[in-house]
Amino acid sequence: MNVKVVSRILEANDRIAGENRKIFRDNGIYVLNLMSAPGAGKTTLLEATIRALKDRKKIGVIEGDIDTDRDAKRIAALDIPVVQINTKGACHLDANMIREVLNEFPVKDMDLLFIENVGNLVCPAEFDVGENEKVMILSVAEGDDKPLKYPLMFQESAALLLNKIDLLPYVDCSIDKIRTDVAKLNPKIKIFETSCRTGDGLSGWYEWLMGKGE
Amino acid sequence: MHEASIALSLLDAAGRNCAENNYKVINSLTVRIGKLSGVMPEALAFAFDALKAETPAENANLIIEEVNAAGVCKGCNSNFTLDASYIIECPLCGSGSFIITHGRELEFKEMEVDK
Repeated sequence: MNVKVVSRILEANDRIAGENRKIFRDNGIYVLNLMSAPGAGKTTLLEATIRALKDRKKIGVIEGDIDTDRDAKRIAALDIPVVQINTKGACHLDANMIREVLNEFPVKDMDLLFIENVGNLVCPAEFDVGENEKVMILSVAEGDDKPLKYPLMFQESAALLLNKIDLLPYVDCSIDKIRTDVAKLNPKIKIFETSCRTGDGLSGWYEWLMGKGE
Repeated sequence: MHEASIALSLLDAAGRNCAENNYKVINSLTVRIGKLSGVMPEALAFAFDALKAETPAENANLIIEEVNAAGVCKGCNSNFTLDASYIIECPLCGSGSFIITHGRELEFKEMEVDK
């Protein structure tokens, strides 16, 4: 017997993501899903961001990694709420993993929640976790061919940080090429050129964040 | 890379459908996978076979229908289709302004079952 189904395979994930989104909205929390390849500088960017904004925004962080709690320890040292999720092999966070840790947060007393996804340029873009917007970080050391090789993540993100620009003299990476390719993939994306070592470009990123959830 | 999660979600959805409708055995499942979805059909088939044991689909074949990318160009107003894993410009006029209409599918289409 033939049974017609016609549903999204990830329907269960999408449903839970919708429930997460409602919890965030009801509590006035703006949620950003941070995605990048391993080593692009997500945690270092978060440390700088938290230091700069924690007096003005109540910030929380969910750290996603395959294993270890190193990143959560770095964030916890800044004295804000943080929960580490270890995916034990899975290459991305999904909506249910986020749901399961939400009760560990003071959701009624938080303005901005960063979800630091597992370092990976492919899968995190496919799984909605209930965030308001996705933000992508690409370090210049990764090369200027990445937008065309991994287009989905660039298409899905609201903002792109071109990070580690202090390394530009030492790597063969054209910011112009990245900007041209990304503009084709996603004309609306907001691009920041940043270095967490020198602090260059971070003020624009902070300003963008301060406008969120207002 | 997330084909195993997708195979698990599919097996869950199929198992739930069987429980609700008293279907005993799934003979085959058909999915539609868009070429822009980033999912590799071979990896999905491998994950499905690895994970189907002890489910109603344990002897089922997975039938994968690939869906080409398609869009509507806002530059030249034409519809286009592409056998590609990404689109950055309209293949007809080169405009970067278009709406993707097909290719992102990850859809559980149908199954063959025995009562």
